[in-house]
Amino acid sequence: MKVIVVGCGRLGSSLANELARRGNIVTVVDTDPAAFQRLAPGTTCRTVEGVGFDRDVLENAGIAAVDAVVATTGSDDANALIGRIGRSRYRVPQVIARLHDPRQAHLYRSLGVHPVSTIAWGTERICELLSFQPLEAVLTMGDSDVELLRVAAHTLLVGTPVSALTVAGEIQVVSIERGAQAFIPISGTTVHDQDILCFAVMSASKPRLRSMLGQE
Amino acid sequence: MNVLVVGGGQVGGHVAQLLLTSGCQVTVIETRPAVLARVRRDVPGAATVVGNGTDFTLLEAAGAATADVVCAVTGIDETNLAIAAIAKFGFGVGRVLARVNNPRNRWLFETDLGVDVAVNQAELMAQLVVQGIELT
Repeated sequence: MKVIVVGCGRLGSSLANELARRGNIVTVVDTDPAAFQRLAPGTTCRTVEGVGFDRDVLENAGIAAVDAVVATTGSDDANALIGRIGRSRYRVPQVIARLHDPRQAHLYRSLGVHPVSTIAWGTERICELLSFQPLEAVLTMGDSDVELLRVAAHTLLVGTPVSALTVAGEIQVVSIERGAQAFIPISGTTVHDQDILCFAVMSASKPRLRSMLGQE
Repeated sequence: MNVLVVGGGQVGGHVAQLLLTSGCQVTVIETRPAVLARVRRDVPGAATVVGNGTDFTLLEAAGAATADVVCAVTGIDETNLAIAAIAKFGFGVGRVLARVNNPRNRWLFETDLGVDVAVNQAELMAQLVVQGIELT
């Protein structure tokens, strides 16, 4: 894949290094040539010095023939603008723009650009970690050999098939509460946002369940 | 006519003054409080709002939804384009004017970014200078 990364700050350089490591053809644009020092030693990334919404700079970076443009400069105005130019002027198939101030999401939507908000994402992730609850049994059977656990589905689980949360003889999803209803899942059932899952689990397998749920 | 002027520096202040003289209702938005204080002093007829002109909530509070015209005249081109896009696509403002600071950015000031009229200051000034030379 050919990718232009505009902005070689912490996010831009990290992204460019990772994309290049995975074998993509990467061009990095920044107004400050010193920023290119953040790229990995011996990097395969091509660098272009200049303003990320300047026509000559974009065309020199090869925008007419790339698969994706990612705008990661420090300015929301510039990122939204670069995203819009990529989409409407050069028909770039994939355009992603970093959003700093979540209040500026309206701007990105006005321009039809999909924002990636590192602040909103980080906030949500930290809240998830802070609201972590240990797995508590609602019912135990035998000498606590088998426990019944009720767990709110983590957002990272959304879309996961229930079969992927099943380990024969150890872990089994016995019911799902979704909205006002509850049902017993079948093989093709997937997890939805805000589902409450009820697991039957062998006590010894609780750590395994915890890691499957992303609680580690 | 109801006009929102974003950017309260020398250009914005002067635009506001001229619009008031021609009978418009004018609101000036400016991020720098000290600059806005000068607008309040020099253009007492204009309403003023401190804040970021690309902030949707602030534009809404300043009356963007009922504005007939929005003038984006800050000294930063990407900001003027962002303001134009929000005004046009977010609020459906009928007429959006934007100031071009750097003539290299002129190609962006088009309707796909929400701009109805681009005011290219360097180009205007250059033409006037050339005309002035020819007259003498």
